[in-house]
Amino acid sequence: MVLNLKNRKMPQKKVIETKKVCRVFKNGEIEVHAITDVDLIIDEGEFVAIMGASGSGKSTFLNILGCLDKPTSGDYYLDGVHVNKLNKNQLADVRNQKIGFIFQSYNLLSRTTAIENVELPLVYNRTGRFSNSKELAKKALEQVGLGDRLNHKTNQLSGGEQQRVAIARALVNDPALILSDEATGNLDSKASINVADLFVELNNKGKTIVMITHEPEIAQFAKRMIYLRDGRILTDTIIENRSTKESALKDLELTA
Amino acid sequence: MRQLIKTFKVAFQAIFKNKTRSLLTTLGIIIGVAAVIMTISAGEGATKQIQDQIAGLGTNLLMIYTKTEHRAGAHVRMGKPINKKDFEILQKNSVWISKLSPLIVSVAQAIGPNGYKSIAIYGVSDQYFDILSRDLLTGEYFKEEDVKTARKVCVIGKTIKDELFLDLDPIGRQIRIDKIPFTVVGFLKEEGKGAMGQDQDDIILAPYTTIQNRLSGHRRGYDIIMASATSEDHITNAKFEATQLLRETHRILEGEENDFEITTQVELQEITGNITGILTILLGAIASISLLVGGIGIMNIMLVSVTERTREIGTRLAIGARESDILTQFLIEAVTLSLAGGTLGVLIGIIGNQIIYKITNFYIPTMLYSILIGFGFAAFVGIAFGYFPAKKAAKLNPIDALRYE
Repeated sequence: MVLNLKNRKMPQKKVIETKKVCRVFKNGEIEVHAITDVDLIIDEGEFVAIMGASGSGKSTFLNILGCLDKPTSGDYYLDGVHVNKLNKNQLADVRNQKIGFIFQSYNLLSRTTAIENVELPLVYNRTGRFSNSKELAKKALEQVGLGDRLNHKTNQLSGGEQQRVAIARALVNDPALILSDEATGNLDSKASINVADLFVELNNKGKTIVMITHEPEIAQFAKRMIYLRDGRILTDTIIENRSTKESALKDLELTA
Repeated sequence: MRQLIKTFKVAFQAIFKNKTRSLLTTLGIIIGVAAVIMTISAGEGATKQIQDQIAGLGTNLLMIYTKTEHRAGAHVRMGKPINKKDFEILQKNSVWISKLSPLIVSVAQAIGPNGYKSIAIYGVSDQYFDILSRDLLTGEYFKEEDVKTARKVCVIGKTIKDELFLDLDPIGRQIRIDKIPFTVVGFLKEEGKGAMGQDQDDIILAPYTTIQNRLSGHRRGYDIIMASATSEDHITNAKFEATQLLRETHRILEGEENDFEITTQVELQEITGNITGILTILLGAIASISLLVGGIGIMNIMLVSVTERTREIGTRLAIGARESDILTQFLIEAVTLSLAGGTLGVLIGIIGNQIIYKITNFYIPTMLYSILIGFGFAAFVGIAFGYFPAKKAAKLNPIDALRYE
């Protein structure tokens, strides 16, 4: 069922390439095949929405893409690197330098200011590329529109603001790939549209984005949509008339 | 190195961001350490005080008395009383005994210029003061001459002076003991509580001859003969010699049991050694329990924060922390809190000992080993239970750590 999108204008760099990736969870005697034989290529600059019912394996797949989990079988190449062959420390460095991961539940450090949270990936960066982490964190927060909330603690921020802090944290290391696991899942419609619009903006600046969502109106912001069912790719389509912030807000008003 | 500095920063941030948790952990360690130091030190203090007081009695002391047995709830004299004959035999023939004094106890009513009291008056010889090394504060001891002529003189302790004379100078004044006037010639230096808790200053000493003539009569013999060996090293010889001499005088056949007993200071020390040994074990048990309670307190707070911290570890792993980063951070946190708590605990323990000393006048030496044990154990528990759950969490897949419930 894989539709390969070969009609490209110029040869592009592959950011993600999976070959027959499977993930099996063993719970005592019972084996659960969360994802089975997923082949997927995502090029630089793409904006992909992954959809599917709960239990379709989309989170499991994203966790593997984000190097938070390992495939049971199959190969995964990230930015040309064969991830299967990396040891724990190398995986940590890949997460740190190549991936920005955004969670549904934000996973920010509690009792910690926005800027300290955003700075955190730079603390674990060993390349020495980022000398002025405070400055970079501030820039990232400004980019997500929280320039005036730098020293607010996470519990003083609204859900939408917290998620934007998490996005800033995902951006601060200048990663090749941004992964979002239902980033809008805990947010109201308006905040969701703002986050989706932020993704579009980042994508326009060249970031490759893969996001999971169960809201079709949010998926409509992406360029490409992959639909998973029972751990396999069901459809892989290009989105024709993408939503914009304006159109989405208009729709929101109409339905309200 | 750069990474280590950054990790230090992260660890201290974590400590100060979670003030309540850090405070509770530290508090657990403080209480554990202070409790251990104070209980061990109190035990050592008590032990030392008892030992000192026994040593203060004079370590070359021998006490010779009639054998008693416990029969039907009362002490019953088993042999003939120790008497003048025994005393003279020892005085004449003993090589290893240098000083001797009879001791006769008589209970009587004493009336002084400013009070009266029911007392036990001790009839002794002039050598008694040497044997028990009792020093005078004012006045003088009664002399051999006084004993020979049975003069009505006495030497008193501080408790007696306080109750019978109040602020008056007792020297040269009279006490009426069962209507017989005794002149006070000496006032003893304060000695405090004895090894068995008795008040060693609640004492009136008079020549034993006077007591026999005036109060107790001659029939009963002596209660005890107090003696001191020529030196501490010869105390066993002295005891053996005295035993032989008395067996002869009492015509005890070979194979028969003595009808008297001789207790030496060394034996008394052994007995109290046993007592203090038991005391030390008891206090050791209490200290172990406080150690255990403190340890469990530290363990609890460390383990309770594991859920929260496992998610934190998951977050840190997800954004690219290495296992070693996490471990170093948690180790620094645990060591810092344990050291801070341990140091404060030691301070509070020492101050606590001082406060007890100030209030009760019971000197508690702060034992170095109690500091080491308390500090060491608390640091061990704090570090172990701060580190190992973190190690377990850091080994997880990041996603499993994030989902930890």
